[in-house]
Amino acid sequence: MYKVLRFFGGTLLALSLSFAAQAVTPTLVVYTYDSFTSEWGPGPQVKTAFEAQCACSLELVGLEDGVSMLNRLKLEGGNTRADLLLGIDTSLTAEARASDLFEAHRMTLQKSSLPQPWQDDLFLPYDYGYFAFVYNKERLDNPPTSLRQLVADEQGPTILIQDPRTSTPGLGLLLWIKKVFGDESDEAWARLSKRIVTVSKGWSEAYGLFLKGEADMVLSYTTSPAYHLIAEQDARFAAARFSEGHYQQIEVAGLVRSSQQKQLARDFLEFMLSDSFQSIIPTTNWMYPATLVHTKLPADFDQLIDPSPALLLNEELVASKRKSWVNDWLEVMSR
Amino acid sequence: MARLNTRAITAGLVLAVLALIVLAPMAGLLNLSGIPGYEPGDLRFWQSSYIRRVLFFSLWQALLSMLCSVLPAILVARAFASQADFPLRGLLLRLFALPLVVPAVVAVMGVVSVYGSGGWISLGRSLYGLNGILLAHVFFNLPLAVRLLLPQWQTIPPHHWQLGEQLGMNAWQRWRFLEWPALREALPGVMLLVFMLCLTSFAVVLTLGGGPKSTTLEVAIYQSLRFDFDPAKAVVLALLQLSICTLVAIVTLRLQRLPEVEIALGSVSKPVAVRQKWLNTLLILTAGVFVAMPLLSLLIDAFGGPIWQVIGTTRLWQSLVTTLFIGLFAALFSVAAGWFLLQYSASLSLAGKTSKAQLIDLAGSIVYVVPPLVIGSGLFVLLSPHFDVFAWVYPIVIAINAVMGLPFVIRSLGPALRQNHARYHYLCQSLALQGWNRFRYLEWPLLRQPLGLAAALVAALAMGDLGVIALFGTPHSATLPLLIYQQLGAYMIPQATVTALLLLVLSLTVFWGLERVIGGKTDA
Repeated sequence: MYKVLRFFGGTLLALSLSFAAQAVTPTLVVYTYDSFTSEWGPGPQVKTAFEAQCACSLELVGLEDGVSMLNRLKLEGGNTRADLLLGIDTSLTAEARASDLFEAHRMTLQKSSLPQPWQDDLFLPYDYGYFAFVYNKERLDNPPTSLRQLVADEQGPTILIQDPRTSTPGLGLLLWIKKVFGDESDEAWARLSKRIVTVSKGWSEAYGLFLKGEADMVLSYTTSPAYHLIAEQDARFAAARFSEGHYQQIEVAGLVRSSQQKQLARDFLEFMLSDSFQSIIPTTNWMYPATLVHTKLPADFDQLIDPSPALLLNEELVASKRKSWVNDWLEVMSR
Repeated sequence: MARLNTRAITAGLVLAVLALIVLAPMAGLLNLSGIPGYEPGDLRFWQSSYIRRVLFFSLWQALLSMLCSVLPAILVARAFASQADFPLRGLLLRLFALPLVVPAVVAVMGVVSVYGSGGWISLGRSLYGLNGILLAHVFFNLPLAVRLLLPQWQTIPPHHWQLGEQLGMNAWQRWRFLEWPALREALPGVMLLVFMLCLTSFAVVLTLGGGPKSTTLEVAIYQSLRFDFDPAKAVVLALLQLSICTLVAIVTLRLQRLPEVEIALGSVSKPVAVRQKWLNTLLILTAGVFVAMPLLSLLIDAFGGPIWQVIGTTRLWQSLVTTLFIGLFAALFSVAAGWFLLQYSASLSLAGKTSKAQLIDLAGSIVYVVPPLVIGSGLFVLLSPHFDVFAWVYPIVIAINAVMGLPFVIRSLGPALRQNHARYHYLCQSLALQGWNRFRYLEWPLLRQPLGLAAALVAALAMGDLGVIALFGTPHSATLPLLIYQQLGAYMIPQATVTALLLLVLSLTVFWGLERVIGGKTDA
């Protein structure tokens, strides 16, 4: 009997201790996209590195993508468990700002490797990249050298793109063409559409089809060839450099207004801008880190194209025109 | 009469839960006025030419896909039925369960491997468009329809065949007077199910459709909820989809004729002419090759991939267990819910209340067309103020998958259960055999085979599901489809192929296991 009691007493003690331990260890909840949290994404390393310094537990919740995260936050309103949102991009920041769910970070971006100055009181960038058409050097000899050439050349390469209604790169191409062609975008799309093999739901389908050899080029990122170089030692892939420049995507994080742990959340933002977070990014997220000097990038990043000038439309303009631009696109593409 | 009441009460409970899971989320989404930055859009959007075009295209491709899947499936099922001794029959029939479990993105890759520009039977760029959509949909649904139609041949009483032979019926007459009446009981329901599956198809249509010309209503719903963040519009579109399917279902199920019930015991080997035998073999082989090719291409890719690297990760095994867990529980709840609905519906139809019986059947069938994204988001709105939704991810995912699996239970279990009820209900009453004893001694031995098929179908469906789990997001372990999706999203396409193969092996095992354990030893 005594033994049984001692056993239960011991268990009870252990349980209460573990509860006590939970009570003193706060949990920081970060909504992010799924590929960030995956085994090969930045998530696991970021979690280990931050937990080593914060005396807290970091919970990364992976959602489908930036749009899902923001929608989730809107649906939850003040009831959200999220302290931070990490992974919306510059085509969504205006909408996120309008939702009034975020609080100023009150930090300054001291060192930045972004090509443009960063002024934003709500959002801090952690990485960025550029959209580009990726091709297989063994299959395509003379890739177009400009977006105009890609559009105009009727004998040009076939391409795979993503749907702007469902995919971030898809929307990126829409904005890229808008930036370069302005009012003549519809004509550009009409010309280009003959060489679009298909428009997929997400990046994965298009990239998968491209690797199966369904088209000459696929809409992806300038940094995509780095994956093949570094992870697969495969040098066949390259991004075509376009003379007009490449449309940029900057990924940011923001502090959720309803968070009960703002100090801890700000500590995370601080950590996000530090070298220990930033150096994880290039070979896990396959993007350019936002504050790490380029000399600290993996050597193979040198082989990537120079995407300058960086093209970016004003976020307010994107937010106000996005729907009507997509409707125009649907109209042209459905003809 | 007391039994009828218990049946009514249990069925009523199931319907109430169903309504709660399907309709409450929609109400939740419509009632979102307090959300900052949200202005409901103009709800007259359905008059826009965009929605009209989308609607027309959705219905058109679903109708075509349904016809291209179900009509050949009748021939193939008939061939299977008359070749009971066909070698590899059991294996082929299990192979026919696999497409159901393949996540859409993997199926797209498989179809492209076979029919794409570098494929075995290259269609080049003409694959992208209606061709690709139809190929993929037939790949998914022809085998399913075969599996659901095949049991109908077993319901033909052996002495009918003998009578047919004595009367000197030719093949056409046998079809017209013996097989068609048996088939007619299940066919409308199967057509409806396949139609709904194709109507709500999303990634397949968008990716193989060649461009936004091929947009289904499901895409428009996704677009309005995600891209436009207009929940009210999404709900209205979802209701539109639900109403259209209800109409289609009412018309289709009207075509359903219940055959006169006779006791069919044992099977008799039917006379099969040599010429007919060759034709049957040809049909079975063609269908088998058609279904096997995309799966085979996946197999070949996977064996060339980094198998050991993928198998060596703990995440994979965690995902495997999670997937199995979700599949089995979804199957359990779905089959239980379907059982109670069908019991009540069968007793109604025996009492001559056919339209009421069909209404129950209908309610269980059309829940499939409410997009999981709408259900999920709505549940989120309703639950997140009161619960920690993350702690409830698995129960929610299981519940939604069980609801989505219900139409499969209705189709696979319905005809057999109804016949069984009609044959033995009065006998049971006179013997006062009811409740557990009735199940144990009468229903279980006679219905375990369709029960096994129903459970296997739902488990396979739930294990291959990506939509629901991706929607909620979870800090814990992913399911295998989600893992595949993560790998694809991280350039790791060879790894994703290996994971997809493991998912297929797992599903095949579970399918085989459930059919065996529940269904008993007889071959399908």
